[in-house]
Amino acid sequence: MKEVLFFEDIQHAKKSTTTCVSPRNFSIYFSVSGKNKTMTEKHSFGVTAVSCHAWNSSRSEIALSQNDSIVRIYKKSGNKFDETASLTEHGQQVTGIEWACKSNRIVTCGADRNAYVWEVVDGKWKPSLVILRINRAATTVRWSPLENKFAVGSSARVISVCYFDEENNWWVSKHIKKPIRSTITCLDWHPNNYLLAAGSSDFKARVFSAYVKEVEGKPAATPWGTKMPFQALMAEFSNGGGGWVHSVSFSPSGDKLAWVGHDSSVSVADAANGNKLSVVKGNFLPFIGITWVTENSMVAAGYDCCPKLFTQDNGGNVTFISDLDIPKEKEEGTISAMNRFKNLDKKASAKETSTDVRTLHQNTITQVTIHTGTKADCTKFSTSGVDGQVIIWDFKSLEKSISGLRIA
Amino acid sequence: MILLEFHNRIVEETLTLRFRNAKEGNKPESIDVTVADFDGVLYHLSNPENDKTKIIVSISLKFYKDLEEHGAEDLIKREYGDFMTTAEDAQKDRVTVIFSTVFKDDDDIVIGKLFMQEFKEGRRNYQQAPQVLFSHKEPPMELKGTDARGGDNVGYITFVLFPRHTGAAVRDNTINLIHTLRDYLHYHIKCSKAYIHSRMRAKTSDFLKVLNRARPDQQKEKKTITGKTFKMN
Amino acid sequence: MSATLKPYLNAIKHTLTAAICVQNFNSQVVERHNKPEVEVKSSKELLLTPVVISRNEKEKVLIEGSVNSLRISIGIKQADDIEKILCHKFTRFMMQRAENFVILRRKPVEGYDISFLVTNVHTEEMFKHKLVDFIIHFMEEIDKEISEMKIALNSRARLSAEEFLKRF
Repeated sequence: MKEVLFFEDIQHAKKSTTTCVSPRNFSIYFSVSGKNKTMTEKHSFGVTAVSCHAWNSSRSEIALSQNDSIVRIYKKSGNKFDETASLTEHGQQVTGIEWACKSNRIVTCGADRNAYVWEVVDGKWKPSLVILRINRAATTVRWSPLENKFAVGSSARVISVCYFDEENNWWVSKHIKKPIRSTITCLDWHPNNYLLAAGSSDFKARVFSAYVKEVEGKPAATPWGTKMPFQALMAEFSNGGGGWVHSVSFSPSGDKLAWVGHDSSVSVADAANGNKLSVVKGNFLPFIGITWVTENSMVAAGYDCCPKLFTQDNGGNVTFISDLDIPKEKEEGTISAMNRFKNLDKKASAKETSTDVRTLHQNTITQVTIHTGTKADCTKFSTSGVDGQVIIWDFKSLEKSISGLRIA
Repeated sequence: MILLEFHNRIVEETLTLRFRNAKEGNKPESIDVTVADFDGVLYHLSNPENDKTKIIVSISLKFYKDLEEHGAEDLIKREYGDFMTTAEDAQKDRVTVIFSTVFKDDDDIVIGKLFMQEFKEGRRNYQQAPQVLFSHKEPPMELKGTDARGGDNVGYITFVLFPRHTGAAVRDNTINLIHTLRDYLHYHIKCSKAYIHSRMRAKTSDFLKVLNRARPDQQKEKKTITGKTFKMN
Repeated sequence: MSATLKPYLNAIKHTLTAAICVQNFNSQVVERHNKPEVEVKSSKELLLTPVVISRNEKEKVLIEGSVNSLRISIGIKQADDIEKILCHKFTRFMMQRAENFVILRRKPVEGYDISFLVTNVHTEEMFKHKLVDFIIHFMEEIDKEISEMKIALNSRARLSAEEFLKRF
């Protein structure tokens, strides 16, 4: 009798294999269990793209949008995520989600030009509408570090800086308009809670002051400048080429700003060093997300489906260090007769065709977020992808599996 | 079926059956058959005044009116005869037969040209065949001065017949072949188009399958009656 | 595969891989709209410089990129009248079935025989690299198919002519 082998395919894990022979059909199953608890975790949420995701403070819950108008909240139980709530207030696609860890509030924004702040009341998520005063889609949203403000970018070429108006008991906003000439694609807050970095499809990355005197005291001086009235343009960068800016990130100290653009570049500007610019371009596809993971290193990911590590040396030069997803040769698994004929009928090919991309993510990565630790000492980061997966990457196990990898 | 038959097979079979029946002395059956043929020709076989012992064969020709305008049927008969006698009389000379054909669309012209090209070239291997010429848009030189019309979708086919084609023994065969050429040509153009169409259909569905490879397989979870879930691939 | 076809297709493949990096992008001109920018062309900064890759005068590909969509227009080899009508028939046949093909544009861009329109919706539902493979497969196959149809047509013409002439 013929033996059939089934491989439960989990890559990137030091595998310990147990073999058992089932007497009924003489099949051999390899069950794979990770010896190392800190391995790369792969979670699939179906075949629909995960356009954005956010973690709660204990990382036991995740809020994500699957390319539609609903925000779904999943809770981890064991190795799985179970859907616990769906937030259905948006009328069009959700474009941004962020979870405020200290105050346990979620802010979401969507193509319907609205943003909502969600709070748990009596065990249920309750929305409150934010007055954004924009007439185009909102594209991205970010809580400030102190969680008393958040910023929403939009296709209306403005940034709405929102804060809570105690008198009227709602969230109101102030606009940053000049000199933005195209859609705001990404935002990031300076650790001091006053400065805001914004990337735009007009090829520029900018640093604005988002100091709202109604809710906070005067900011102290930073390398970006000393006087910071609201809407002041503190710095404006272009890496010389073109390319829509897809993501911006302040370094943990707030002195450096990194951004990625559609020209496949990673750029870093150092305010403490006279806004010195360092740009690295390589033979990769454009990045969509970037975040600092130490004061000197960044992780960027995007259309290459693979997160990449970049480090800035003492001289200020940024260099590409390594791919963080080294593809392994995949063994061709067996395929059932039914699937074989189904594939022949539908795709004119008998082979399993979905396994062609050898990276963990099978399609574009849409977001890179810190999972465990902070920007200064990140130990795990998470990525979400168009393939419907959220993957949590662990630096310790990455350092072990990729020879010579050290996160500086 | 590569060659077309000169006669209409249905008409022929129907009639021979009746005749045989009559010869064998069987009771004649009533008949009422309408048959369509190329170029919108219709045959109608019927019994006049329900008299089963007689059969009427009527032919409807689309262009009969035009023929009538030019001098009715006896003229055609005479012309036809004249033409044949001329051929026999002028033994050393040649006879040129030209007829025009109208193509429905531009594609037909191109395919028609291709076919006529092969007629020209094919003659090299068949020396006994008459010379065939094809001209498109403009009538051939021989028709200069007549009111033969030109135009984008008009083609002229010219046969140059030599005495060897018009001898008493082969005359019928030649006439039959020549007068079916027009239908023959259009029939094969139509067949070619049908063939191309079926190929395109097959290739298009093939392309669709290749495009389908780009779609991820939907994994559906199904529940059994006991509440167990399993994954469908 | 001829010596010049491979680099031609390779160049197209690499250009497509880069150009197909598109993302969801809401209109910044019309409220509550989300349209392929490569078609509406309402914001100049959202368009990429179009690229033409050409093998010869007839066989060329125009790739127009934008932030959320790209347009691929293909000029197909047509050596003579027969190939011209076969190509025309084939592309028309496919475009009449554009709703099945999803990425097929109902009308080709002027100067080309067939156009594809890929938007972020397509790249979100399908594997990017497989879409590129499809376009390349299409280009390889359509040339082959047209020349095969032409051969079939020729042999039918020859055969029917011979059969006819044989009878004299």
